[in-house]
Amino acid sequence: MTLDWSVVWEHREALAAGTATTFLLTIATMAIAVPGGIAVALLRMYGAVPLRALAAGYVELFRNLPLILVVYWAFYVVPILTGVGLSALATGLAALALNVTAYNAETFRAGINSIRRGQVEAALALGMSRGQALRRIVVPQALRRILPVLASTWVSLFKDTSLVSVIAVTELAYVSMQVRAQTFRVLEMLTAMAALYWLLGYPQAKLVDWMQRRFRVTE
Amino acid sequence: MEFDFRVVADSWRFLAYGVGVTLLLSVVSGVASLAAGFGVASLRLYGPAWVRWPVVLYIDSMRAIPVLVVLVWTFFALPIVSGITMSPFTAALVGLTIHLAAYAAEIVRAGIESVRPGQARAALALGMSRAQVLRRIVLPQAIVRMLPAFGSLLSITIKDTAIASVIAVPELMRQSETVAGQSFQPIEVFTVAMALYFTMLFPVTRGVDAVYRRVAHLGRS
Repeated sequence: MTLDWSVVWEHREALAAGTATTFLLTIATMAIAVPGGIAVALLRMYGAVPLRALAAGYVELFRNLPLILVVYWAFYVVPILTGVGLSALATGLAALALNVTAYNAETFRAGINSIRRGQVEAALALGMSRGQALRRIVVPQALRRILPVLASTWVSLFKDTSLVSVIAVTELAYVSMQVRAQTFRVLEMLTAMAALYWLLGYPQAKLVDWMQRRFRVTE
Repeated sequence: MEFDFRVVADSWRFLAYGVGVTLLLSVVSGVASLAAGFGVASLRLYGPAWVRWPVVLYIDSMRAIPVLVVLVWTFFALPIVSGITMSPFTAALVGLTIHLAAYAAEIVRAGIESVRPGQARAALALGMSRAQVLRRIVLPQAIVRMLPAFGSLLSITIKDTAIASVIAVPELMRQSETVAGQSFQPIEVFTVAMALYFTMLFPVTRGVDAVYRRVAHLGRS
């Protein structure tokens, strides 16, 4: 078995571009899914009854579907249903955002629900409005519990962006597998891909651990 | 626009086979990662110091690398390194287990560490051996507390088996792709696939919650 690792260095520009796309997808998805998640969580908790059911249905549906299927579905079905042809990147982003928004909605809902009701009741008894109680009492405490969960969702999302490679979004996994197919350097390219994800993902995972220690809530 | 679900009815055997493979792969890799997870966690908690750091490195690495990458590497690259050729199903089983065992190990560790150390000290003071403490005091409480996390791990396992479609395991995702490609009716096929996955996954999450509510009192201390 002869190995030729120079193939990795030769394709450094493509790999760097793929890495950039991976980060871009992660950042853009979170930029949509955090406000989206807040909106869905608020709808589910305080919305009118039909809206609540709709929000709950959306969350349950996307939490119970494999992301890769959502990606395929978005790729093949959305253009036919809407008549709008999106680029692969936009389709991948849409699928990721739909998925992560559902998870974030649950994170926000759980965070807000974790604050004992007595605290809101006490705030109301002191004469605060519901909005004030939420803003001054619930949100500051809930944030401490929400942030570490959002951080670990971030790491999962960073890894899950690899799934949009199946619809030819040129992120890190797709680029690596393309180079593999062109050069037949299977072991080298796949190992390089794993190593790159490891180098990028490991510090993020460690950062999440640190955040979880830092924000630990003791009851 | 017209929908024609006959394509799904015509190829129902093909899709049902996919459901079968998905369930089989989920159950086998779920059980394997659970067993491996207990092993890895006990190495991390009770192993000698020189074993602990490679174990921590393994766990954290699996948290950093996507499943897709692990599966593709196991199927395409591992045979080159090891000389062992694996069927797609075996490769998926190995890859998923390597990946998920790390998560299972973290669940086991968190469960065991959640039992207050005072209890173990009290048991030791009463003259129990370390193994007895673990078996009689720590594990009965810890396992109950691990249940909800194992439930979500099982649902993650089922979802991750869909990624095995990229290494041509004939599970539901792959079979749906094939039918969609041959019939040119992706809407019908993928929508049915969604319904099938939802029907498999929803009862798992709900079922584990229901079981946990019944046994939760056993984990209190």
